Amino acid sequence: MSENGFAGVDLGRGLTLPNPVGLASGTAGYGFELEQLIDINRIGALYTKGTTVGARDGNPPPRVAETGGGMLNSIGLQNPGVDTVAADYAPRWRGWTIPIIVNIAGGSVDDYVHCVTVLEPVAEVAGIELNISCPNIAQGLDFGRDPDAAGRLVAAVRQVTERCVIVKLSPNVTDIAAVARAVEDAGADAVSAVNTYIGRKIHRATGRSVLPLGTGGLSGPAIQPLALAAVAAVCDAVRIPVIGVGGIVDAASARDFLIVGASAVQVGTATFVNPETALQVLDGLRAD
Amino acid sequence: MTADLSRASLETGEVLVVERLGGGLLELVARLPHLAATAMPGTFAQLRCGDGTTPLLRRPFSVAWTQDDTCGFVFEAVGAGTRLLSELQPGDPLDTLGPLGHGFSVVDGGTVICVSGGLGCAPFPLLINELRRRGVDDILVLNGARTATRLYPAERFARPAVPVVAEATDDGTRGHHGPVTDLLGQALGSNPTALYACGPNPMLGAVMRTLTESGAELPPTLEASLEAPMGCGFGTCLGCALPVRGEHGSTAWRLCCTDGPVMPMREVDWEGLSTLPGADVA
Repeated sequence: MSENGFAGVDLGRGLTLPNPVGLASGTAGYGFELEQLIDINRIGALYTKGTTVGARDGNPPPRVAETGGGMLNSIGLQNPGVDTVAADYAPRWRGWTIPIIVNIAGGSVDDYVHCVTVLEPVAEVAGIELNISCPNIAQGLDFGRDPDAAGRLVAAVRQVTERCVIVKLSPNVTDIAAVARAVEDAGADAVSAVNTYIGRKIHRATGRSVLPLGTGGLSGPAIQPLALAAVAAVCDAVRIPVIGVGGIVDAASARDFLIVGASAVQVGTATFVNPETALQVLDGLRAD
Repeated sequence: MTADLSRASLETGEVLVVERLGGGLLELVARLPHLAATAMPGTFAQLRCGDGTTPLLRRPFSVAWTQDDTCGFVFEAVGAGTRLLSELQPGDPLDTLGPLGHGFSVVDGGTVICVSGGLGCAPFPLLINELRRRGVDDILVLNGARTATRLYPAERFARPAVPVVAEATDDGTRGHHGPVTDLLGQALGSNPTALYACGPNPMLGAVMRTLTESGAELPPTLEASLEAPMGCGFGTCLGCALPVRGEHGSTAWRLCCTDGPVMPMREVDWEGLSTLPGADVA
């Protein structure tokens, strides 16, 4: 047990999270906003916004739409590019004790390898999360849907980093366990599951899709039972640590993921509603 | 650039009243000492609507006015979230996050015009109060709405001394019969130092078009409070993108929640904004 009341979560390759509750990619930016609102260093990990080779402006609005118990997003990986993250953002993480895990997205193996290579010498980066499952960019799901492609990607990344590599899995597949096994076999240190579910909302007044690309990624408490089933299947399929994410709003909904075998969790959309949710989950789990 | 959120805080206040103003306009008054002490003109608060998971997201509202430890918000019950707010009773808790956003650049002198369309009245009482505190007394409010009952009452734009309010209604039931932009031409003759506008995005585009087509010199301070579907309100979800003029005539995106909601009207891509679909109110 560490001083915060939790045993550390060993994800491999020297990355041990101080506690099991993290902030999910895409819901915490690079931490600079939340740092102003909450005691961010109490949290177990920050998984950054999906980061790509070059800067991306993101998709045209509207980019978000609320649904029953959830929200759809189609942000389109707006981010400043990996060079800016390495050169300008990383120095601002100096002195933070929360492990920073940079989420990487790309359209090709080379894209991922390039980003990971740029980040390899950056001391402030604690680990890498490979986003092979973004539903909102062209090719964003290709790696996530095909176990062989996912395995090849992980193997290529494995060649260029000594850091802990976590693979974030897509739930928009027939057999998530097969993808999980493939990335484990290729050298992934851990998996996080799940990314958002593909969803669509119709504008009732116009009969058109609310989001300009038609579909977006569904998140929020509405997906928690779906995510839980996917995470249970992944936990049964692999021996590496599994990080559960999807619809967590409180300690009880987080505990469900630990019960089915996850080693850690990520709080996502609930942070938008209450920036303190991850801390409340942490305190709730500690009381167990 | 990271938004300055140093004033923002979660605060659970106490509802004092939800007043029916007529025409569907509602004014929610709550005891919120932190927000009352820190809200600047044009900033907003994210209000939790109910305590369940539907509606999930908070709803953004301009801080309409502050007095001692209380704040006012003007809204209309149009969707699930605002309906829940409309049903709040005195003594109920109100879960807020604020103040958020980039507010108005408040000028220190000269003539000021405030252009309001419908619920766009919301940020103006706090702005006018601050203008007066800075010694600006020459303030003209152009207040437009669909119909007379939906006009925010003139006396509420500032207390105790009411500013000059010129009214316009689409159906002619009070004031000028026509859009509020019809009143702009004459108002511009006063060579205002500042023009502030708030209302539906199409109305704001019409204000900019009217100003440009008038041939008059644009006021040095020319700002609008914009709206966009919003996720978090504090710059992390990147959901509330609005089009602004980028380099070489391109469109760039800025976040309504942290770059705005108040933006210089010269920088907004009004054509791009006009092509965006209207809000989908759940």
